[in-house]
Parts: sequence; C-alpha cells; structure tokens
Amino acid sequence: MMSVLKLEEYENDFWKDVDNRMSWDQIIPGDLRNTKPITLTKEVISQFAKLIGDDNPLYYDEEYAKSTPYGGIVAPPNIHIVLMFACTDVSDWMRSPGTINCGQNWYYNIPARPGDTITMRGSALDKFIKKERLFAVHENVFTNQHGQVICTGRGQTIRPV
Amino acid sequence: MSTHAEFDKITGGEEVLGRPFTVTRETIADFALGSLDFNPLHFDDDYMKEQFGKTTFHGVIMHGMQNFAMITRTLTDWLVPRGGYHRRLETRWLTPVYLGDTITPVATVKRKLETNGSRWIVFDINVTNQKGVSVATGEAMAEFADVFPGAPA
Repeated sequence: MMSVLKLEEYENDFWKDVDNRMSWDQIIPGDLRNTKPITLTKEVISQFAKLIGDDNPLYYDEEYAKSTPYGGIVAPPNIHIVLMFACTDVSDWMRSPGTINCGQNWYYNIPARPGDTITMRGSALDKFIKKERLFAVHENVFTNQHGQVICTGRGQTIRPV
Repeated sequence: MSTHAEFDKITGGEEVLGRPFTVTRETIADFALGSLDFNPLHFDDDYMKEQFGKTTFHGVIMHGMQNFAMITRTLTDWLVPRGGYHRRLETRWLTPVYLGDTITPVATVKRKLETNGSRWIVFDINVTNQKGVSVATGEAMAEFADVFPGAPA
C-alpha cells in the first residue's frame, strides 16, 4: 500500500509505546525491522530540507534544479535521516528514549526524487558491550519503486539500559 | 565547464568552509519534526539530569544528525556547481553539542584519485564548536563522473 509521507502525522511522544520496543537484550542481529514503503512529494522534500537547515535551492526551486546535472528537484542525500523514522512504526527500537547516536556511515547511489516510493530494509548487524555501555550496530538500505538503491548506511547507537 | 576540468582545478589541501550553525530550542524543534526524531534527549531538561549508564549530560543536546546535515550542506553547496556528486559520508560524534553552541564544518581535500571509470575526491571532515573543540570528525567522498549518477533519462 502506498502512503504519502506527511511529517505532521507521526507520533511525537517517544514515551508512548515504550514498553512495546525491544531492549538491547531482545535485539537479534540479522532480524529485519518492520518497515513500510512511503512516497516522497515535492512538499515534504522542501519541508525536510528547510527543517534540517539546508537551504540549497536544488531541493525546492524547480527552475534552478533543472539547470543542474540533476535535471530537476531531488531530495537531499541525507533524506535517509527522516526515512528511517518514516518507514518504521512506533514500536521500532530506534525510538527508545535515551538512544544515543555515535556516528553513521552512508553511501549515496542515486538521488531520491519527488514521486519516488521508498522501501527500507533495516536490521541490527551486531551488538556488543564496551565500557559497560550497550551498543547496537544497525544497517539500512533504501530502494526506490524501480528497485534501484538510493543509499545504504550503517551506524552505531548506545542503547538505553 | 566539464566535470573533468572542474576536477583538475581542485588542489590537495584545499579547504571548504561551512557556514556556522547555532543551536537553539527552535533549531532542535525544527530538526525533530524534519527527522521525526523526537527523542527526549533533545527536549526534556528534567530527563537530562538523569544518569545514562556511564554517561551524564548537562542539559538537552543537539541531534547528532544535525552535524551530519551541516556537513552535507557544506559539501553539496560546493559540489553541485562543480558537477561533483556527494558519494559518501562517514562520521563520528566526539562530544555532545548543547544549546547556544555554534558549530562550523570544514572539509579538507585529502586525496584526488582517478580510477578506471571515474574521478574521486576524498575529504577529511572536522566540525568544531565556538571554543575550537572538535565535536565531530569524519571522511567524505565525492565523484566527478562523466555520466551524472541517476540523471533523468
């Protein structure tokens, strides 16, 4: 089922459903996270760019975007920042309050464009303990409606105790 | 000008200076809505007085991915007019960024490389706060390809 991304429709209280989320103990590396595809619009692309502080006209000005090699408006490469939350549901463990991001590595294949329907495949790859802190390594792949990879990434978070 | 010619003009050690970004409750609220990341680490002053395992904070912190976004902006603002494609970004957060802090990213051209199929730039990334302390470091990679990635047919 196609669902158009609208930022205002998402739950903004991460304490709700907190008991339905997997703790570090329950995360199984390799298990796929529950995800759903979402469709990007020009509106949400420009809104995202503005809200994260990126004012490049490539993300909102069609005339300018057409004059670049992109040939039209595209999503910022780091659109995966919102896609990760947009494609997962309220029970996803990345929403656990106290989740601390340690850094991320992303590879960008082709840009996402308005009208693209994006699918996420995500899992934990590994988990470990270091200096009494609980770590999880995650890996996400985003593809478009043609099965083309948009971007792939991995990162580490410290999990709440 | 071709991407090849643009690539040739880039010199090792060249610095790409990002615009400074100051963190306020408004920028945090904007980033939260933009990213859909409503973690209380970024809002809740009382929550931030707690112990987080071995970690303590002194107040709400900026989203780590705001660093990522400002690094990306620095790179794409420089690359798009040159026909370069932002291929990769690897980051590590070194220390939390707090309300009132001003962060500035710098990307330094570390390496230029030509492969069989394309031309590449590797950047060192450093984000510092107003005290000159590094809050994030990383590496980025840009491609100056003959055929633009994902160009419309």
